[in-house]
Amino acid sequence: MPDSSTREAVPHQRHGLAQSIEAASLAIPFRVKVAAVWAVIFALLAFAFFRSGFDIQWMIDKTPAIVRGVWVTILFSVIAITAATFLALLGALGRISKNPIAYGISGFYTSFFRGTPLIVQLFLWYLALPQLAIGLLPEPYASWFIWPAQVAGVVGIAFNYGAYMTEIFRSGIEAVPHGQTEAADALGMSYGQRMRRVILPQAARIVIPPTGNEFIAMIKDTALIGLLGTTILWADPFRVAQLTGKADFRNLEALIIAAIVYWGLTAIFSFFQRKLEARMSKGYVRTAVKAG
Amino acid sequence: MRTTTRRTPRGLIALGALAASSVLLVACGGGSSTSTSSSAAPAESSAAAETSAAPAESSAAPAADGLLAQILESGTLRVSTDPAYPPQSSYDEATGEWQGFDIDVANEIATRMGVVTQWETPAWDVITAGNWNDRWDVSVGSMSITEERAQVLDFTEPYYFTPAGVAVNADSDIQSIDQLAGKRVGVCGACTYEYYLNRTLAIPGFNFEFLVPEDVEIVTYDTDTTALQDLKLGRVDAMVSAVPLLEEAIKKGKEIRLVGDPVFLEPLAVAVDKSASQPVDSLVAELNRIIAEMHADGTLSELSMKWYGVDITKGPGA
Repeated sequence: MPDSSTREAVPHQRHGLAQSIEAASLAIPFRVKVAAVWAVIFALLAFAFFRSGFDIQWMIDKTPAIVRGVWVTILFSVIAITAATFLALLGALGRISKNPIAYGISGFYTSFFRGTPLIVQLFLWYLALPQLAIGLLPEPYASWFIWPAQVAGVVGIAFNYGAYMTEIFRSGIEAVPHGQTEAADALGMSYGQRMRRVILPQAARIVIPPTGNEFIAMIKDTALIGLLGTTILWADPFRVAQLTGKADFRNLEALIIAAIVYWGLTAIFSFFQRKLEARMSKGYVRTAVKAG
Repeated sequence: MRTTTRRTPRGLIALGALAASSVLLVACGGGSSTSTSSSAAPAESSAAAETSAAPAESSAAPAADGLLAQILESGTLRVSTDPAYPPQSSYDEATGEWQGFDIDVANEIATRMGVVTQWETPAWDVITAGNWNDRWDVSVGSMSITEERAQVLDFTEPYYFTPAGVAVNADSDIQSIDQLAGKRVGVCGACTYEYYLNRTLAIPGFNFEFLVPEDVEIVTYDTDTTALQDLKLGRVDAMVSAVPLLEEAIKKGKEIRLVGDPVFLEPLAVAVDKSASQPVDSLVAELNRIIAEMHADGTLSELSMKWYGVDITKGPGA
């Protein structure tokens, strides 16, 4: 008789145990349920992890050294996002320009740097650029382009992300209503004045949230710089993990630590990213209410 | 209005050109400043030199010119190492420095030149490909003298000889090298062990017997330790690598074992880049003189005993 008793317990619902569970769970807040799902996932992962014969003592010993690489990641990311923002601004102005040279250069820039793998670009900056410089420039100018791995890596990431962000910036600028341009023109503003005082400030609030997303993605991609062979002073968590893992034949353990370190880092920045997005959208919501 | 829009593109070009040139300047400035800061090399070379006497100013050093003169003048020998290769070269996270046989040998060479070492750590295939663009001066990286590499690199006389061997998982059925026929064998890509398996290994002055069956399925990796990882995971049945590396892995708890005797001895040498912007002949001569000296006074044997537990500095003929 379990069937009929269930029916009695939830008289207004369709039959079945599933329905009774659903009804009971209505009382539990959604966030608590999500937390429970996460707890189960972590419990399963932890179980699998401890059963798999990893050298846990080794991992505990090496974690500090791998975590210490985080400052390199943050430094690389901050420099690269700054340079990428600058490149993207130029690129976006080029993409909306009526000048064939500016339009052509920016078109080549976005096409090439979005159309080739980032890791290939990094090796081109590291290995091919010096070759080009030596072929084209007299000494000592050629040696200016022979960069150490970390410089080639950061420049490479900045150019790559700058190309993606060019499209973000372009769409941000184009999203500013055309009436703003006309109003600026009507006031007799020059191109530079119009961009600096009218268009770009309004475009900025549109492009800042997606730029934050690019920054978080960039944090992870800086790990590729280690593949160029950065030396220990410039070793990020992935590079340190590879070096320590290979020294002790504990590659898998080292990679697991590195994964957790990057995950934690992006989780922190994602938190701030959500705050930022909430703040940015707040302004739009208020404007919309006023207008309505 | 009309004139405004006409003027704008020219203004933009000027702005673009200005910005582009400032990007260039920023990039270059960044380049030079960070390269100097990466010269914070471990200053352990003096400590590694406890066995040797004073630097070689007294002995008959060849006339210093080209790259050698530049090294002596700067007081720094820039050495590339692939720190994925214990006990030749690996990262000691406790001290934050590189350690191993190659590291000690390079430090000793630098000490005898009267300079200090500065480490560069590019990927192995970047080192063997030559065209170093003057990023570092020499490779002290247990590099085998192959014909292909000799086209882009100049080698010194060998400073030691590594036995290459075959390893399998401890519980494998494979008991002899003949049983590798038809099996998957892991090996580092574009290295002597792959050439050996391909039967294309050629080193002037040395003859090799290709003992591993011809029909093995070769699986290549970025470096030997990755191949070892895959051997443990069972994706390959065996691997070929340096016996010292395999023994180090066993010592550090990897459940693998060597199969049969070493398959060949590879002569390993210091290398310099033929395409360096300065002539390298006097540097090679100086390196040869120092290596001969280190063979003769027992320094290399001593370091070999320290890192490998055996003296592998004598050639196949000796």
